[in-house]
Amino acid sequence: MRARATITGVLGSAVVLGVAWLVGSGTGANSTGAPTGAATAAPSNASSVSGTFAGASESTRYGSVQVKIVVAAGTITDVVAVKLTDQGGRSVQLSNKAAPILRAEVLKSQSAKVSSVSGATYTSNAYLSSVQSAIDKAGI
Amino acid sequence: MAETIVGSRLSTPSKGHEAGYRGRARVGDLLVIALWVSSAIAVGLFLVSGGTARFGSVADAVTSFGIVTGLVGTNFVLAMLLLAARVPFIDRAIGHDRAIAVHRALGKPAFFLLLGHGLILLIGYGLASGINPVAELAPLFAIPDMWLALAGIALMAVVIVSSLAAVRHRVSYETWHLIHLVSYIAVLVSIPHQLSIGSVFLPLSFERAYWLVLYLLAFGAILTHRLLEPLVSSIRHDLRVDRMIEEAPGVVSIHLRGRRLRSLQATGGQFFVWRFWTPGTWWHSHPISLSSAPTDTGLRITVRELGEGSRSISAVKPGTRVWFEGPYGVFTDAGRTAKKLAIVVAGIGITPVRALIQDSQLLPGEASILLRASTPDDTFLWSEIEDLARDKHIAITTMIGKRSSSGPGWMTEDAARAGMTLKGLFPDLAESDLYLCGPTAWLTLVEADARAAGLPDHQIHAERFDW
Repeated sequence: MRARATITGVLGSAVVLGVAWLVGSGTGANSTGAPTGAATAAPSNASSVSGTFAGASESTRYGSVQVKIVVAAGTITDVVAVKLTDQGGRSVQLSNKAAPILRAEVLKSQSAKVSSVSGATYTSNAYLSSVQSAIDKAGI
Repeated sequence: MAETIVGSRLSTPSKGHEAGYRGRARVGDLLVIALWVSSAIAVGLFLVSGGTARFGSVADAVTSFGIVTGLVGTNFVLAMLLLAARVPFIDRAIGHDRAIAVHRALGKPAFFLLLGHGLILLIGYGLASGINPVAELAPLFAIPDMWLALAGIALMAVVIVSSLAAVRHRVSYETWHLIHLVSYIAVLVSIPHQLSIGSVFLPLSFERAYWLVLYLLAFGAILTHRLLEPLVSSIRHDLRVDRMIEEAPGVVSIHLRGRRLRSLQATGGQFFVWRFWTPGTWWHSHPISLSSAPTDTGLRITVRELGEGSRSISAVKPGTRVWFEGPYGVFTDAGRTAKKLAIVVAGIGITPVRALIQDSQLLPGEASILLRASTPDDTFLWSEIEDLARDKHIAITTMIGKRSSSGPGWMTEDAARAGMTLKGLFPDLAESDLYLCGPTAWLTLVEADARAAGLPDHQIHAERFDW
């Protein structure tokens, strides 16, 4: 009796884990969209663009992330975090750590195509997606 | 309860016992499966909420593993609460003692999983940020909920240590019990960090709802069955000490009277946890078996002066208010699994057996009893057993004397020398339920003998008078 119950329990657990893994992988692929590297053809007057451009708000499972970029004569001069992930103390901690690194990388490369900060993948992906959408909006 | 089954029992006695056992075993199996599957669901919650993406790097994998250990450990702790809650459904199926045995077996794994949860996460976080784990402590403990979680694991460590066999035998039941109550606080203070820092139980998610329902079930069961139900029952039945009768030197029967006791559905062989409301005794409770079948207006228990506690309760005055939790236990007719009944009993262990055989409908020759005492002073209640045995055609063997040093240690020297064995005493042992009650060390010897004789576990029913 006892052994059979344990075997059934183990098998049942394996099924639960298998299903959870499949479901988890499915939603994971949808929600962790990598930064869209959609390089839109740069307009000819790119170098004359100036101003502040807000990126799209990207939602992650730890809350939404939104940035705006400050552009002067076609050059990104600053990235300001409007909103960072705020759900879960640990993710706030990670966001606060990742944001300055990502900002520096974006300013250096003048693009959203930079590597994400390890350990803060969700924040990084959302941050860079938002930067990309702001760049698209600015048309630089 | 007994009177409703008289007719059917006498016509098909053995079938009833075996079918009843199969039903209870199924519930027991379901509980085992539920423990496994609920642990898998806890891990599943993490996977579903994006955990699958978090095995990419070594740091992520370590962190994920740390989260999983916390989830499974917490699931174990909640299962432990449920097992100790004395839920009637669980106790009837597997018995309170077996429920507590599983509760104990889960204790250390749960604790090490939770301790591992903390340590593994520190390593994971350290790997992710490229600094040593110790440096991760400061930012982590900047979050107030982490202090609560740390307090939780520290309290849990205290509870675990107090329950280690070596320590438990050195402290009184009351002290141990008081320390054990701390575990409720330990479990509760660990909740905030799961909700605020953890990434699995986000606000308004299914995961959070499911997890909180588990907590509600566990604490609801404790609150209902350990607190409210006993309180309401104690007030409703208004139990008082009626009179005390000395059975032997140091052995006292306490007669209790109350109202509508039949609705408790207590049966012979069960025990209650008693609390006598006198200035010196109200703060501790004693698990004591009924020593005769309950009636609608009266109960009887028999105690021997052993510890501090049982000495003071054998001196309570008539009229003393008595609160109780129970009835508990499956050392009853309902716990039977086989055709025949073999009983081996020693010393104060006679009390539940006295009530059990009074409350059992037995076919002639169905039951046999071995009464064991070390001195003639220990033969209290034997005359009552003998009277019942005559009415119910139960065969009785008696053994009086010190434990044998040569043969089976639970017998007398004479019996051992005469080559007596358990099988010799009970020829139908293989198709019998063996009911054992007496001092723990003695009982363990009989139990070992029964196992050696090939008796399966479910046919051995041991009622231990320790905690």
